Amino acid sequence: MIKKIYSENTIVWLTYIIIVIGLLLQFGASNTVETHQIFLKQIVWVIAGTIIFLFLRKFDYRNWQKLSLPLYIFFILLLMAVLVIGYGPAKRWIHIAGPIDFQPSEFFKIVFILILAKYFSSKSAEKLPVFLGGIILAGIPAFLILKEPNLGTCLLFIIIFFSLAYIAGAKKKHIFTILLIAVLISPFLWMGLKKYQRERLVVFLAPWKNPLGMGYNLLQSKIAIGSGGLLGTGYMKGTQTELSFLPAYHTDFIFCVLSEQFGLIGVIVFILIYLWFLERIAKIAFTTQDNFAKLVSSGILILFFLQIFINIGMASGILPVAGIPLPFVSYGGSSILASFIEISIIYNISRNSALF
Amino acid sequence: MENRIKFINTFIIIVILGLILRFVYLQIIKYSFYSNLAKKNAIRTIQIGIPRGEIFDRNSRVLAKDHADFNLVFSPYNIKNPQREAKILSPIIGMKDSDLVKILSQTTENPFYRKILKLNISKAEMSKIEEYAYYLPGIYIQLGINRDYPLGKASAQLLGYTGEVSQQQLDQMAGQGLKPGDYIGQYGLEEEYNQYLMGKPEGYEVEVNALGQQIQVLHKTKIIPGDNLYLTVDKSLQKICYNALKGWKEGAIVAMNPNNGQILALVSKPAFNPDDIAKYLQPPYSNGNPFLDRVISGQFPPASIFKIITATAGLEDGYIGEHDKINCPATIKIGNSIFHNWDPINLGWIDIDTAFPISNDIFFAKLGLRIGIKNLLGWAKLFGVGSPTGIDLPGEASGHIPSNNYGPERENVNISIGQGSILMTPLQIARELSIVANGGQVWQPYIVKKIVSPDGRNIQRFYPVLQRTVFISNRTLEILRRDLTNVVAWPNGTGYSAYVPGLQIAGKTGTAETGPRHLNLPLRGAFACFTPVNHPSIVLVVYLDYAPSSWFAAGIAGKILKEYFLPSIANSQNTNSETKIKQLEEYNPNNPYAKNTAERIIKRMKNKNLK
Repeated sequence: MIKKIYSENTIVWLTYIIIVIGLLLQFGASNTVETHQIFLKQIVWVIAGTIIFLFLRKFDYRNWQKLSLPLYIFFILLLMAVLVIGYGPAKRWIHIAGPIDFQPSEFFKIVFILILAKYFSSKSAEKLPVFLGGIILAGIPAFLILKEPNLGTCLLFIIIFFSLAYIAGAKKKHIFTILLIAVLISPFLWMGLKKYQRERLVVFLAPWKNPLGMGYNLLQSKIAIGSGGLLGTGYMKGTQTELSFLPAYHTDFIFCVLSEQFGLIGVIVFILIYLWFLERIAKIAFTTQDNFAKLVSSGILILFFLQIFINIGMASGILPVAGIPLPFVSYGGSSILASFIEISIIYNISRNSALF
Repeated sequence: MENRIKFINTFIIIVILGLILRFVYLQIIKYSFYSNLAKKNAIRTIQIGIPRGEIFDRNSRVLAKDHADFNLVFSPYNIKNPQREAKILSPIIGMKDSDLVKILSQTTENPFYRKILKLNISKAEMSKIEEYAYYLPGIYIQLGINRDYPLGKASAQLLGYTGEVSQQQLDQMAGQGLKPGDYIGQYGLEEEYNQYLMGKPEGYEVEVNALGQQIQVLHKTKIIPGDNLYLTVDKSLQKICYNALKGWKEGAIVAMNPNNGQILALVSKPAFNPDDIAKYLQPPYSNGNPFLDRVISGQFPPASIFKIITATAGLEDGYIGEHDKINCPATIKIGNSIFHNWDPINLGWIDIDTAFPISNDIFFAKLGLRIGIKNLLGWAKLFGVGSPTGIDLPGEASGHIPSNNYGPERENVNISIGQGSILMTPLQIARELSIVANGGQVWQPYIVKKIVSPDGRNIQRFYPVLQRTVFISNRTLEILRRDLTNVVAWPNGTGYSAYVPGLQIAGKTGTAETGPRHLNLPLRGAFACFTPVNHPSIVLVVYLDYAPSSWFAAGIAGKILKEYFLPSIANSQNTNSETKIKQLEEYNPNNPYAKNTAERIIKRMKNKNLK
């Protein structure tokens, strides 16, 4: 019993360790008013997230099972609304009231996991119709998000779907057949991509071709990381990020700030903390006996993993630039709040499974 | 299910640990490579711009030239709080807070796109901005190329100005290698010859910002500057002409070589200041439109200057002989209306030599009736009325010539004296005078003599173009030149205020009404002349909007010609209107009407309370 409580709290403590590191990086990113404001705003978001966590951790996760369908429908409508009234460079933002804007797809990630968990926990994924039904369930929002256009998040959803279907017991044969079909029609998808999305993929393949154009972000982030070396340039002493050579260093490229200022040692320590954090979630996915809870925690595990992997992979140049935030670190209210909700659900599952 | 979770979890652990390998590669193996890149170039490349071609006058004196300056630029992508930054910046650079907010609030998706906020900032501004740099993210000081116009306002309409290319222009000039933010010629010669002046955007100047404070040019790649223009314009005459308009709000002056159509000076007022163009680009204009080049785009009734054409038509087609006299009372009845001479005086029977210098309206009205409107308009067309001259400047107007089927005699009379629906640009008037000066040749006016590449190769050379020749007999030319000379030489001539001792000037005044006479609106005064009479080297047209009489235009022309041809006398002798009045008062005329005319002019000038 004591061990279990310890296990629930570990995930919370780890979350806050990551948040504190993130805030230090936000503060140290550059010495400008902008940075200081972002730092303060991020603190406000963390406080808001904490309040949400304090409420939601006591909210029985089984209620989510009942809520998942209405939420799913609500968010599908919301995604459609974003396509009509959304704004921003890509239509990802929706204006609520006053200064609050939010990105519905961040929250939809949770709903997506909940609806799939509910669907696969009540039916046998081994059957082809069930599997195909899941594809439709997942395909509708994935398509809407692709139209926003947000290619990165759309791919994220597709991977989450296949992983959850796999965990739920879908036949490998079915999964591979569908993937094969996807590969075959991908040339047509390429035609459907927006120009900037194609450019990003091309740049990813050959960043040196145009070092001052689209390849710039990628090259600059690699320079920032590479010049950090083993020990780093020291906190708040990075030239690349401090001088703002790197765009979006508060959001997509925040990991470069860490790499440049704390070097490889810092990177390893931070990645290991993240791994520890992921393994706590994995442990909960093993321990819980409820299929729904198992699928939800696996989904959240995969979601966190993908966000971490894509963001760091993108910064270090092994993945294309995709605009995926680093959980609890990248600046942004929607991302922070959504991550806190995910942690609340995990916490509640962990607490309830301890009672079995 | 557990197994499958386990499988996925193992995969996660491997991938996450694998990420570390990537960082080992970047931060250990490639460390020296990337840290060198970071130190060496801190890649921030900015295109400073390609120097535009220079513009020189006929004596190779500079009229427009690029020079390096520090500009204040901003990157819309990095400006998150325009209000706050505008508040700090506005007292430093002296721009209105609200204007700044508007400018800084622009958005762009390209993080490296920069726009110019203020050109050529001073050292004091620079140090202040550096001081507040912490509060001004997205604002930078950047080395740039600015354009210098040594004559400033005096050459505004002639040379034009350069400005950022608009989206519309980008679409129009697709394929010329232009990108947003480039500067192109927007007016005058800068616009007309932009493709030569612009240079080729084939290279970048690479600029390095090592510590984010000082900008240093480390490395230049190949740049091909624009071609240089050599003009027919004389810089000193251009300046003299602009200064001569001092005190007049609106006016225009053009000087041309009548023997080949080379433009020597072209001035229009009000003018814009090409160094501070933003201020002028916002209508409404308080003093007329500075972007209207009155020399080529202003269309006005030529008034009495048209009498040159009426006289030519009459003499050439035999409607009047050299010594034929016409009865000229103060008024005549035409149809149902009374037609007045400008000067209410009964002169009796006079010939053209008497009528022309004092610009008698009755004489030319009666002559015009004899010639007939159709024939008269035919001659007007030969003199180029109603057709653009073809000068190499954008926006030339063609003036207006009425169609042949005009019925009433009154219209015939009006056209004979250059009123009514006839409209000419000052440049067309200069062409009209040139025809008399050179004996019938119609030259196409032009400004650019040659285009020379930066390495000195002649790209293009422009030669005079003879458009056509108007046949005018020597006898008629002789009469016209004699009478035109007397316009200026006779103290009772309408252009006597242009008289310059030692210079033989042949000219004609034209005073046009801007509305019905009883409204007592200000008049428009013009004076067109050439000199020296026997071997003309210059045709000069002075045009004044809202002048009480052409007398003042003639005075300005005389002043310009004196300063240009006889600079030593111009500086020593005092020749203001008062001495002119004195000369007129002392004049004892040979013929009985001259005294009367002189007195009327004096009275008129005194009534206007002009010095």
